[in-house]
Amino acid sequence: MDFRISSEQAELAEAVRVFLSQTHGPDVLRALDGKGGRDPAIWQGLADMGLFGLLVPEDDGGMGRSLIDGALIARECGRVCLAEPLVDTAFVAVPWLMACGETDDLAAIARGELSVQLPHSINPWVVGGEGESLAGVDPLRQLATAPSKGTDDPYLLDLGALMMAAQLVGLAEAMLEQAVAYSQVREQFGQPIGGFQAIKHKLADVAVELEFVRPVLWRAAQALEDGLQSASVHVSHAKYTAADAAYLASESAIQVYGAMGYTYEVDLHFWMKRTWALGGAWGGRSFHYRRVDAAILDGAMPIGPQHTFA
Amino acid sequence: MDLHYTPQQESFRREVRAWLADHVPSEPLVTLERKEGFDQHVAWERELATGNWGMVTWPVEYGGRGLDLIEWLIFEEEYWAAGAPLRANQNGIFLLGPTIMEFGTDEQKARFLAPMARGEVIWAQAWSEPGAGSDMAGIKTTAVRDGDHYVINGQKTWSSRASFADWGFGLFRTEQGSERHRGLSFLLFDLDAPGITRRPICQLHGDPGFAELFFDDVRVPVENRIAGEGDGWKVAMATAGFERGLMLRSPGRFQATAARLVSLLNQQSHRSSPGLREEVVKLWARAQAYAYNTYQVAIRIMDGGSIGAEASLNKIFWSELDRAMHRAAMHLLGPTAELRQFEDGQANDWLEGYIFSLSGPIYAGSNEIQRNITAERLLGMPRVGAG
Repeated sequence: MDFRISSEQAELAEAVRVFLSQTHGPDVLRALDGKGGRDPAIWQGLADMGLFGLLVPEDDGGMGRSLIDGALIARECGRVCLAEPLVDTAFVAVPWLMACGETDDLAAIARGELSVQLPHSINPWVVGGEGESLAGVDPLRQLATAPSKGTDDPYLLDLGALMMAAQLVGLAEAMLEQAVAYSQVREQFGQPIGGFQAIKHKLADVAVELEFVRPVLWRAAQALEDGLQSASVHVSHAKYTAADAAYLASESAIQVYGAMGYTYEVDLHFWMKRTWALGGAWGGRSFHYRRVDAAILDGAMPIGPQHTFA
Repeated sequence: MDLHYTPQQESFRREVRAWLADHVPSEPLVTLERKEGFDQHVAWERELATGNWGMVTWPVEYGGRGLDLIEWLIFEEEYWAAGAPLRANQNGIFLLGPTIMEFGTDEQKARFLAPMARGEVIWAQAWSEPGAGSDMAGIKTTAVRDGDHYVINGQKTWSSRASFADWGFGLFRTEQGSERHRGLSFLLFDLDAPGITRRPICQLHGDPGFAELFFDDVRVPVENRIAGEGDGWKVAMATAGFERGLMLRSPGRFQATAARLVSLLNQQSHRSSPGLREEVVKLWARAQAYAYNTYQVAIRIMDGGSIGAEASLNKIFWSELDRAMHRAAMHLLGPTAELRQFEDGQANDWLEGYIFSLSGPIYAGSNEIQRNITAERLLGMPRVGAG
């Protein structure tokens, strides 16, 4: 029993965090927003970091890492509100292709030469791709009609939901940090508003929710990695609670920003819009809630203190 | 990351389960807030000690088994799954014990830990005073040095277990004229010492769970001080960290409540609603999240880390979870929620539990204080204004 993010995993995530904070700050989001949402240099930068090959086997030119590593990096992508669909290709499509034994494209994906956005019956559209473009609220997420209805494969659904949950956690963390930073500099009544308990307690509540969503996310990732029979329940637990935490973070953050938060000027809106998008992608709240409900209330999964890791 | 128990851990779990199956009282004990029930719970502590289960993480020489925190969590999971009684000595084994382990001298460890693990000495805590609740640094009770003793004068209140316990621990002002966090010392005292008057306070449920303590020239030997004179605040914060963060409320307790709540929902489906059903599932999910988090905290401590201000996050989470679970049960019970005993003669544990759960967000530092700590120390928000 070792419920620990290894130091190697933490170092990798930290390196990606530093890279993304240096190359993909809010200024980049603003620039992309003005010119169609894409910049090939960003994709290339992610490819140069080797991130497309994170889960690709070493024999195919990848790093052969686990879903925990994928979730750790997906969280970092959420933190910076990444404009490119790295997660969809590298952490959703790659493990599914591997599970299907479809390994022909893996080397090209690892090199960053292929973007793979898999349609699934749970999603009405895909991100990127050749289809007819759809207007979405997130200016950096390019929706297109799916080329086909897609599979209804449950493993692909779990991968998608898990990696959306990971990004939602990162989004929530970033929104909390933004709100804290603003509360430290915005002054009213002769002091920073972050000194008022009404503001402190609002943001403390977000910190509490995040503290108790992260371990659920890691648990879900490991359950899926291990192929546990109960993995879907854990993924759904992670997805719906991560969405709840991100919604809470976004609503708390906009409130702390006050009227500024309601403008396009403040960066927060990018993160809020991504939250609304990912909160519903790969199964909305009700879908994932119902999967947990069914497992818990119908006795399909053993519950109680002696079954913590059932 | 490996979320499988080792064969040794599984075998330890079986050993715990088997022992508890043979020893847990078949009838529920009387509440430990009453003398009769307190004595029953102390007898259970001693029964536990016969199997060396008093505190499994302690070294063997102090009555423990020298096990690690994962094994402690396994023990706790089985303990709560078995429906074993509340621990009369929780103030001792979960709060004072770890504090003595960290700050005590070898002599103090030898003197206090083994009798604690054996359930021979039951401990009460004495932090709050009438003028020092959430603002604990406002402590006024003095301990004046007189040769090799301190002489204590003043008053403590809300002293958990003090109605019936044997010994107490708390913070006292040893430097006269000092203010706030400075000049405090952490002292252990015999609750039967001359000059101590205990006045039990009737709690919400009608039983005397905590007490006021009046100190009138109470003499306490200097060797009962933990750590240096004036270091009391630092020691107390470590104790509070154990209280809020890890030991006092192991996840098994809440997972057991969540599992009972799921059963209640299934039994009381005629009194449920879609909203209540969703609430119950959410609360199960939160109890699980608390368990996962605790495993991560345990690993961090085993890696040499410590519980800092994160303990405040835990305290907010478990106390509000506990209240919400019992509230949901009250709603599911509908008109029967008000009965202290159901018509079939069973005690209404949900009502008792709900009453107790209301104290959770207040004791061990109110949740408002925990939110301040979270905002200021974890998030780095400014310490200005009323805070």
